[in-house]
Amino acid sequence: MSHIDPEILALRALGETAGTAADAEHAASCAHCRAELARLAEVVRLARDTEPGEALQAPPPQLWDRIAAAVGTSPALNGAAAPGKTTKEASAPPTRQPRLAWPRGRLASAMAGLAAGVIIGIGGGIGVAQVSQAPPARVVARIELSPLPQFPQWQGATGTAVMRSTASQQEIVITLRAPARPGFYEAWLLARDGVSMISLGDLSAEHTGTFTVPSGVDLRDYSRIDISLQPFDGSTQHSKASVVRGSLPAAALG
Amino acid sequence: MKAVSDEDVAAAFSGQQPDALALVYERFGPLVYSIALRSLGIRSDAEDVTQQVFVSAWRSRDRFDRGRGTLGGWLVTITRNKVADALRDRQRDSRVLQQVTGGASVAAPEAPADRVVDRIVLTDELARLPEAQRLVMVLSFYSDLTHEQIARVLGLPLGTVKSHIRRGLQRLRSRLEADGVAY
Repeated sequence: MSHIDPEILALRALGETAGTAADAEHAASCAHCRAELARLAEVVRLARDTEPGEALQAPPPQLWDRIAAAVGTSPALNGAAAPGKTTKEASAPPTRQPRLAWPRGRLASAMAGLAAGVIIGIGGGIGVAQVSQAPPARVVARIELSPLPQFPQWQGATGTAVMRSTASQQEIVITLRAPARPGFYEAWLLARDGVSMISLGDLSAEHTGTFTVPSGVDLRDYSRIDISLQPFDGSTQHSKASVVRGSLPAAALG
Repeated sequence: MKAVSDEDVAAAFSGQQPDALALVYERFGPLVYSIALRSLGIRSDAEDVTQQVFVSAWRSRDRFDRGRGTLGGWLVTITRNKVADALRDRQRDSRVLQQVTGGASVAAPEAPADRVVDRIVLTDELARLPEAQRLVMVLSFYSDLTHEQIARVLGLPLGTVKSHIRRGLQRLRSRLEADGVAY
């Protein structure tokens, strides 16, 4: 049997269920197609791991002068990196965008990186409707999460929590940098009394997650964010294995 | 605007044309600077490393062999080495500081994570796709639309969208294979 059509393979790498039952059968048994699919799927994974709105950053304009001086050449730059020219790279905001884990947000932020003309060119359609429905979110706080001194096994783990506010709700976008361990990472809100806690949810396999603060929860009471490593034991309780923690600044909570 | 291809830039660099370094810097400056900045976190350090990379690339340009790899891949390798040097310097400085102050321990430096480099290379290549193809790829990656829905939204024939996706993915893959680290 011939190999799977490259277009079908590409769509499958993106997670679509393209192709016939025979294709699926072939994919399971053919080493060549399996390897191809794995390579393409890795590209997709890298792309989806990347902040969609994120462009490369252009070095500051004066840096070229330093380099030219060091090598004893002084040709003027006239393209992308030249002072005064704004490319998409150069005009990108210097700060790292908070990661948006939900598709519409990611898409909206990706679209921001595209030329406006193209977006207008799309015309009406579901994609546009989805984009325009994404509520504008305002980043109200960004905090670093750090390991607790009493857990030396987690030294080196770090995390960030970005709190965003929309008209209707508050969201917390969490990114954890910690080694993969058996079990899963879960995000919690801890009360100031140090006893009460609310589960926000599980982090993804990439150790990120976007969580909506449950309505009725006052972050002035639940002002600390905690990430735990949870064993697969069916328990919904905090495992007491706190990986990193951080406090929301009072100023952000109004 | 027709972008200068990476091959053209590499050819100019190999041919030691006087303006070649400016051309190389225009093409790869943001890539090198972004890797350095992401790895070091401090702008002035990233600028120093970027300068070191291009100066070093220029001085050792005789050692660049187009037959053995891409210019982008070569620059990424130099960048990683310079970043590692900068991190070592930082560690040494903090050890000295620690001895002077008797202060708390400092975290060991991290080498630039391979996946971080790969993601920056991928971002670079994605930005270089032709506009229509880039839009299709962005929608495929970051929206939950299927390729049929993307075709409808963009008013493109289904075959065009499928072909953009196949060729776009292949192009990103080729670039990662040439210039990436972990991929």
